[in-house]
Amino acid sequence: MQLNDSLNHSALGLDVGTSRICLARQVGADFQFQTQLNAFVSVPFSPMTANVLTKENIPHTVSGPEIVVHGNESDRFADLLNVDTRRTMNKGVLNPAEPDSLNMLRKIVESLVDPANDPRKLCFTVPAAPLGAEQNLTYHEATLRQVLSGMGYQVKSINEGLAVIYSELESTNFTGIGISCGGGLCNVCVAYLSVPVMSFSIPKAGDYIDDSAASMTGELANRVRIAKEDSFHFNGFHSDKLLQVLGVYYDEMIQSLVTGIQQAFSNSRNLPKQKRPLPVVLSGGTALPEGFRERFEKIFKAANLPIPTADIRMASDPLHTSAKGALVAALADL
Amino acid sequence: MRPFFIEWKARNIADPVARLRYLHQKMEPGRSDRVPRRTQWKVASLLPALACLFIPGFKASNAHQDLFVAPIPHVAAAAPDVYADVWRVEKTNDSETYSNGLRIDDRYAVSNEPRHPYRVFGPNADASQPDIRTQPAGIVYHTTESDQASFEEGQNGALLRIEKEVLSYVKHNHSYHFLIDRFGQVYRIVQESDVAFHAGNSVWADSSGVYVYLNSSFLGIAFETQTRVGEQTSANPAQIHAARVLTQMLRSKYHIAQSNCVTHAQVSVNPSNMLIGYHTDWAGNFPFLEVGLSDNYTAPPAAIYAFGFDYNPVFVHATGVRLWQGLALAEDQLRAQAEARGLRVSQYRAQLRKKYHQIITTLKPVSEAKEQRHAT
Repeated sequence: MQLNDSLNHSALGLDVGTSRICLARQVGADFQFQTQLNAFVSVPFSPMTANVLTKENIPHTVSGPEIVVHGNESDRFADLLNVDTRRTMNKGVLNPAEPDSLNMLRKIVESLVDPANDPRKLCFTVPAAPLGAEQNLTYHEATLRQVLSGMGYQVKSINEGLAVIYSELESTNFTGIGISCGGGLCNVCVAYLSVPVMSFSIPKAGDYIDDSAASMTGELANRVRIAKEDSFHFNGFHSDKLLQVLGVYYDEMIQSLVTGIQQAFSNSRNLPKQKRPLPVVLSGGTALPEGFRERFEKIFKAANLPIPTADIRMASDPLHTSAKGALVAALADL
Repeated sequence: MRPFFIEWKARNIADPVARLRYLHQKMEPGRSDRVPRRTQWKVASLLPALACLFIPGFKASNAHQDLFVAPIPHVAAAAPDVYADVWRVEKTNDSETYSNGLRIDDRYAVSNEPRHPYRVFGPNADASQPDIRTQPAGIVYHTTESDQASFEEGQNGALLRIEKEVLSYVKHNHSYHFLIDRFGQVYRIVQESDVAFHAGNSVWADSSGVYVYLNSSFLGIAFETQTRVGEQTSANPAQIHAARVLTQMLRSKYHIAQSNCVTHAQVSVNPSNMLIGYHTDWAGNFPFLEVGLSDNYTAPPAAIYAFGFDYNPVFVHATGVRLWQGLALAEDQLRAQAEARGLRVSQYRAQLRKKYHQIITTLKPVSEAKEQRHAT
């Protein structure tokens, strides 16, 4: 997507995902992205550790008898200490089981987003309600709005699936199906000429795969995630049991996603009646393994959806798609 | 503003953010009433209708007046018609060669019922006083929608087998006057002097009048290909070249205007539901320019403004954006004509439809039953 250089440069897009938080900004005609793991880990306090973390520029907070390392480095520390990272969010929203969730989320956001001295627009992503459930997302959205407004931004939110469409489906006038396979949720949105006509989420995503595979293999979920991101791929034989197990749960996740789409389409009256096939775009970290698109396409095509779909493709930059879409929405001042 | 016009306009906005902003504004619920109704080209399309008021003999209609065929809109200055000097160089039992390189294979040529004098309904003319003509006035381009083997050397057997089946089929059914196979070979099917059953329920118009039932008045050329949705044409370079020289020869021979070289999707109508686009071959990606013609997709379908036909989203989405402008112009033309007569669009449309049914009742050719049996 080529952008007109004369556009508003003061806008930001923020993808607030269960697993990662990604900031998008426009620099000239290009987009730049910064990402932090949306996780943290506590290590025992010692002056030596605190000094080293400060020298190494590792985001951390001293909290009484412990140091909380947050963002990207939390992974490494969790691995060193043989513990799981703690998460500020679960299944797409603030983690109700984590007492420090809001505080840590604010810290991670602050490590990405500078306070605004003059009014700047910021658009952040929010998940859709899970299919068949009426989950109240108000608290999550209002809390994020409060945090970001407090940093001096004019804040708006955008559905995560719609952000995928704004990022990737310019060629079809923002008409099509955007799917973001993230950590906590898979978000799906159908839009017609930029207007969302249906959106929902599926609570099976990357974390579900990690947790399920961890329980089957006795590994920590965090290590499962690292193995998944480093070496898992479809369309091949895995001698490693963990990778085999990952394949099973990946398949289950895709099946659930497609079933959810099928169910949502069957129940929705809002879908545009059109003959022109809708393109489908896949994005998100959970969609990254090699062969994911092909596996999804195979299951998707077999599902016989009630509306015609065109090509199924990966987003050009799956890890940054939602953030970019949020930025496009902010630039368009929606 | 209808969504497909919004979509068409949005496509012309190069900057993605500006395009998103535009779409969001236009598609936001409750915003449609605030959209200005008169765009520049809507205003422009009013002019021809208003100009008709000054044509000698023109009478604005009202509910009591006799029904009329609507005036022909001149929405855009077409490129001047230039006719190449093309002549037949040689004719054998099996083929003809022309001076522009065209070669026509006559091995599948067949006779059908002769082209009887046909009627052209002039602007404001009563249906009982049509112009009578005998020469072909235009060309309709079709696709055979036949099976398509992969176009590669290893598939020669399949390509030739399918081609022969298609040739036999269209010959048996008198489907077209010419067929262009996938290798760019031109086959004569029905003799030019005869009627081919290629566009039965159809309407088109030029500056001289309205043509109904184009089997009699237009020649039919089919490409051995299938309709493909999108901007990419489904004709290969060999077929495009063949169409170019064939069109050049026919235009030269019959002095056919560029504006009368159109696709089946542009002229096809369905009288049973009064919708245009019953057939959608070449609905959006016919290579007009490559074939040496001006882009006729932007011309308003006469069925809408002359006979009150309508169209539905299915047709719109089967077409390309180039045709949408034509649809919009035809709609505006219809609206302008209704306004000029002090009628609501629905009243005016009803009048036009009645007129159409009167005309086709008189046009029902003897061969209609035969054509329906052979319809492809």
